[in-house]
Amino acid sequence: MKNNYLRHKIKVISILSIVILSLAQVSFAMMSMDEKGMVMNANSDNLPKDCQKISEEVNLTVHAGQKYATKFNGKMFAFDQQEWNVAPCAKINITFINDDQIRHQLMIHGLPGYLYPEGMLHLELYGQGELHASVILPSQKKTYLVHCELAQHAEKGMKAQLKVGGGDGDLPSIPALSAPVKTDIYTLDWMAMKWGGILILLVSFIIFYVGRVLFLRYLKMSN
Amino acid sequence: MLKKYFIFGAGLSALALIILLIQWFFVLEQHARAKPPATVFSNADNANVEKPCTDDHVEWRSAQEIEGVSILASPVCEPDNPYTIAAATKGTNNVSMSTLMQSHLAQDSIVMGEDLDHDGDPDVIHIKLEIVELNGFSPDGDYLMNTYNIAPGVQPSLWVYAPKMQGMAVKNFNSRVAHPLLRAPSPVIRVEQGDKVFITLENTHYLPHTIHLHGVDHPWLNSEGQDNDGMEEHAIFPGKQHTYEIQPRHAGTMLYHCHVQTAQHFMMGLNGMFIVEENRPNNWVQTLNIGAGQVRHPSASVKKQYDQEYDLHYQSLDKQLTRIPQEANDPRLISQKMSRDYNMSTSTENYFLLNGHSFPYTLRDAMIVAGENENIKLHITNLQRTPIAVHFHGHKATIMAYDGVDAQQGTQITRDVFDISPAQRLDLSLKTQNDGLNSYGAGLWMFHDHVPTGTTTDGMEPGGNMAILAYKKLLDEQGMPKMHEGMFNDVFNKEYYAKKRPIWSTGDFAFLLGDAGLVVPENGELIAFFMVCGMLIGLIMLLISFYIKKRS
Repeated sequence: MKNNYLRHKIKVISILSIVILSLAQVSFAMMSMDEKGMVMNANSDNLPKDCQKISEEVNLTVHAGQKYATKFNGKMFAFDQQEWNVAPCAKINITFINDDQIRHQLMIHGLPGYLYPEGMLHLELYGQGELHASVILPSQKKTYLVHCELAQHAEKGMKAQLKVGGGDGDLPSIPALSAPVKTDIYTLDWMAMKWGGILILLVSFIIFYVGRVLFLRYLKMSN
Repeated sequence: MLKKYFIFGAGLSALALIILLIQWFFVLEQHARAKPPATVFSNADNANVEKPCTDDHVEWRSAQEIEGVSILASPVCEPDNPYTIAAATKGTNNVSMSTLMQSHLAQDSIVMGEDLDHDGDPDVIHIKLEIVELNGFSPDGDYLMNTYNIAPGVQPSLWVYAPKMQGMAVKNFNSRVAHPLLRAPSPVIRVEQGDKVFITLENTHYLPHTIHLHGVDHPWLNSEGQDNDGMEEHAIFPGKQHTYEIQPRHAGTMLYHCHVQTAQHFMMGLNGMFIVEENRPNNWVQTLNIGAGQVRHPSASVKKQYDQEYDLHYQSLDKQLTRIPQEANDPRLISQKMSRDYNMSTSTENYFLLNGHSFPYTLRDAMIVAGENENIKLHITNLQRTPIAVHFHGHKATIMAYDGVDAQQGTQITRDVFDISPAQRLDLSLKTQNDGLNSYGAGLWMFHDHVPTGTTTDGMEPGGNMAILAYKKLLDEQGMPKMHEGMFNDVFNKEYYAKKRPIWSTGDFAFLLGDAGLVVPENGELIAFFMVCGMLIGLIMLLISFYIKKRS
């Protein structure tokens, strides 16, 4: 009885694994990969359902590297730009360049799942080099997350946004563009105003005092 | 005059009442009276109980052959991914795309080259390692990224060397859980004696690091005349890479670790085992053993002498140190907090890990599974801050090598406690012969560091590096030890390690050994207490009114 159950279980598992494997084969078809890197879910031909035609074709070069973080305070990795704006139904031809000696990725999230499995375009370079991929965006006004998915890379600065038709707001914690949800705590520089702070304190005290004297005089006069 | 005395008297009695009430308050709270409080079951809902085994990859447990690599059975709950084992043995440049995809390794992560001595196995090996932060900060909300639980609900931040992989560092696109390749401990590296090994560190982390090859035969400079010893002054900075070159002439169990800000980086988890196997013909060794534990494709010489082989990596973590990367995002702040604000000489150990997990998670992937009459090779490494004293219940094992050097006949000591100082290694031969010396027979024999704190997780017992040497017939079909079900509901629960549950919260004795509730005082006493309180308030108001009258 138990043996039968086990046998059945194994059967189910093996069928399932075949199904999963065949699904995996499909997703292989959506990707190209070599010793330099990989591209997953690139799309240069299929129009999104809500687009009649491609509105504009934009050539975009995106650099990734540690050196692009030097213009921000408190970051370690970054893209060379933090925001891109395109029209609805635009086609973007991306040239992704990695200037570091380590792995970096360029991932765009939130794309329609029927064209881009799991809603993402995924470019990955295993080291210095460049990759090319196209993507066609839907007509919807939307801000797409662009980032590197390596541990702590987006957190430490490698995060940007792609706005279609002006986008629908800003994403948090993009270097020099938007504030983080959870902020770092730094020591406040009380001397930033030099003696200005004390001067302002004195002036406002005098204003208050003079105002009080004038007010009391007015009260007396009205009496 | 009379009024003055009256006021004085009122003041004095107010003071006396205050003293009385304070004392009474403590008596009220402490006094158990005739009826001690009842047991409460506030956390008895079991909402946080985890399944002991989630049975994610049943198909990975059996013995199998992938890409011509024979992989031994691993009947535990969470076996190693056999595709990663196959790719690590043949090289990521020698396997099919399907195997490579299922291994999740990058195509250039383990590249096998020429067979220098023409004995049927590759001798030029290029390994690429990255550095990963687990349980790290996120500026986007109040949560951690790339999470890795060492025990139920326990998420200290960890830094590990990881094989160069491809794809996301999370389990899937809408998860924050770290990818299974990214885990503690840093992977065990295994090569053959005489191999020409290139190890490239690609620093994907936000602080500088190195690889120091402790005990592994290596020249001080590499072939390009650059640093090959991984010392502090030759740190590899973020976004950069460096290649270390070795051709070990001596076989044995060695180490590798980061030598930048060593006290901190070592205790964050940047350390691993480096094992050099003896040179044999047709000897394809398993280059990486992710998560340590059982070697499912042992080398030719090990296979000849032993039935099984295990890598046991003992590691400890400091709760305060591992909290630092979770408290800030700015690398400058993390560096300052870790190296200057925090004084490492006051460091303590709070978590004790065997192969990256603390009990009860050690039951999922860090057990030794034995058959009867087997000879098992164990490589034990102490990568803790303090010495360990590893003890096997029901067995006495024999030391075959100290720090990677074979023990001579007279120094092959058989005993049941193995003291290992920090960074030392022992190779043991553990026999499961039921003869009253080697083994006392089949069982679910616990093995652990016998330093008493070693079996605790931030002070909670059972925890730490406690694991089981299990005889196969005593495991259930999920690979979990039988006769432990009663305990599973208690310990596979994050509330337990958050110290919110009593130790014995289930079973017949839960009523007798659960949490004591609150004391309910007798009604009469409670009435008297509040009456005195009321009188005190009245007196104070009287005094205030006198004071106001006097002023006006």
